[in-house]
Amino acid sequence: MVFSSVLFLTMFLPIVLGLYFLAQEKMRNAVLLTASLIFYAWGEPKAVIVMVALIVLSYVVGLGIEKFPKYSKCILTFGILSNLSALIYYKYWMFLLENINLCYSPPPISVIPKIALPIGISFYVFQILSYLIDLYRGQVAAQRNLASLATYVSLFPQLVAGPIVRYETIEKDIQNRSVRYEQVYQGLRRFVIGLAKKVLIADQMAFVADTVFNSPVKEIPTLFAWVGALAYTLQIYYDFSGYSDMAIGLGRVFNFKFLENFNYPYISKSISEYWRRWHISMGSWFRDYLFLPLSRALSLSKTYAALSRKIGRKRTNIFLTAVALLVTWFIIGFWHGAGWSFIVYGLYNGFFIFVEILTGWNKESKSPFVNLICHLYTILVFIIGFVIFRSDTLDYAWQYIKTMFGDSNAPLNSFYKATEFLTYSNAMIFIIGCILSTPLLARWYSKYEGTKIDAVVMLVLFIVAYVFAITSTFSPFIYFRF
Amino acid sequence: MNRDEIYAKLTEIFKENLDLDEIELTDTTTADDVEGWDSLAHIGLIAAIEQEFGFRFAMKEVVNLHNVGEMVDLILQKIQ
Repeated sequence: MVFSSVLFLTMFLPIVLGLYFLAQEKMRNAVLLTASLIFYAWGEPKAVIVMVALIVLSYVVGLGIEKFPKYSKCILTFGILSNLSALIYYKYWMFLLENINLCYSPPPISVIPKIALPIGISFYVFQILSYLIDLYRGQVAAQRNLASLATYVSLFPQLVAGPIVRYETIEKDIQNRSVRYEQVYQGLRRFVIGLAKKVLIADQMAFVADTVFNSPVKEIPTLFAWVGALAYTLQIYYDFSGYSDMAIGLGRVFNFKFLENFNYPYISKSISEYWRRWHISMGSWFRDYLFLPLSRALSLSKTYAALSRKIGRKRTNIFLTAVALLVTWFIIGFWHGAGWSFIVYGLYNGFFIFVEILTGWNKESKSPFVNLICHLYTILVFIIGFVIFRSDTLDYAWQYIKTMFGDSNAPLNSFYKATEFLTYSNAMIFIIGCILSTPLLARWYSKYEGTKIDAVVMLVLFIVAYVFAITSTFSPFIYFRF
Repeated sequence: MNRDEIYAKLTEIFKENLDLDEIELTDTTTADDVEGWDSLAHIGLIAAIEQEFGFRFAMKEVVNLHNVGEMVDLILQKIQ
């Protein structure tokens, strides 16, 4: 079920809210859990079994880690491996088999099974892992109530596309939370903002981006290659941050305080900064559960000790960083999807981050000129990154990037006439999208928050967004694929 | 070794690892107060501290340190 669908907006959400607020306090988790399972089962009932199985298993593993401190490392390893095997099987097995077949002639595997990806598995498996690892590290206590743990993992606001909420964030709230009408209002307000971002900006930009990216690359003139890349850049931000707004808002309605997932990524002055502002819950997950433990393990290795005696600790640390970044960004890319273009997308970002660490790029500069250059560099890098991300094949991405830099003979007029996607309204939305990706307008508007004017603005925004949602063609969120 | 001696050694390690000319460490200093002390630098610092004092931290301990005071407490506890 999609947040911007009529079914969700007019049936599911009102019914769940009604039952939730009518229910006694101790029954509220039961309402949320039931609603979440129905929400999840709506599209593919079979996928629920996988999720419930992983929850039950992880519940037992969690109790085991706490009960047997002596064996906690073994039990944790078992818990991590079983969750990851499910993820690998459902998400990567087909890809791995296909690639094994490509390496040998004749292909050794005659029949590659068709495995359907359970929606949201990349997100909820990561939530479960954060629970188990934090438990092992002594940062949270084991959850003794299976239903509470299941509510945390399956909570419908963030189930299918994040943010990746850590158990630590909701540990207290999952046991004990009141209904606060101030929070309900603020949550719904946030939901409306997210809905508007999705249907008024992302879906409109999607039309432009799809038109360009679905064309054969030889027919795209340089100018329109840029239009397509820029439109996609806006689409993915408003799509994904809009979804996060809706998730965070819905969480707030039930008085959960999820952490922010986006912080104006497009104003960044380096790729490192960009990844601290974009999909924050994922970036910090990989930092805390992969990059740092991996760096730590490397720094304890014999090679590290030997190398630092030979060439000094500082240079050795550069090697260590390079290796840890390479592995981490390879996996971040792969996490986004089983395909080579995602892997290249990950490594591409890791490369720039490594260069930035090496050159000390991240140090603040006071010169406005230097800042402008840094800003332009960052924008260019993430736009090209999105082209790789959007392209179905690496070959297409490469051809497309070449087109952007002038390698195109396609006539401007014929492409434009054939598509006719540049309308005044799209141009307006494009400009609004650019302005709203900076904090300027939000800063100015913040003085109206909580006033009657704001309430009217939000109501109008909701009605307009709702009309767009019911009349526009159905469009799922980009991150549902992962 | 007492707290002051540990502080003196830590200050040297911090200066060298984070490329700083001057740094004043106190019990309440956190990573946010020191330029360049990000999570990656933290791993480097931990490795340098381990080498200097001759013991190992557990990953659990590495992630649960909140300020320099806690770090000094842990070092004291480890070397005794």
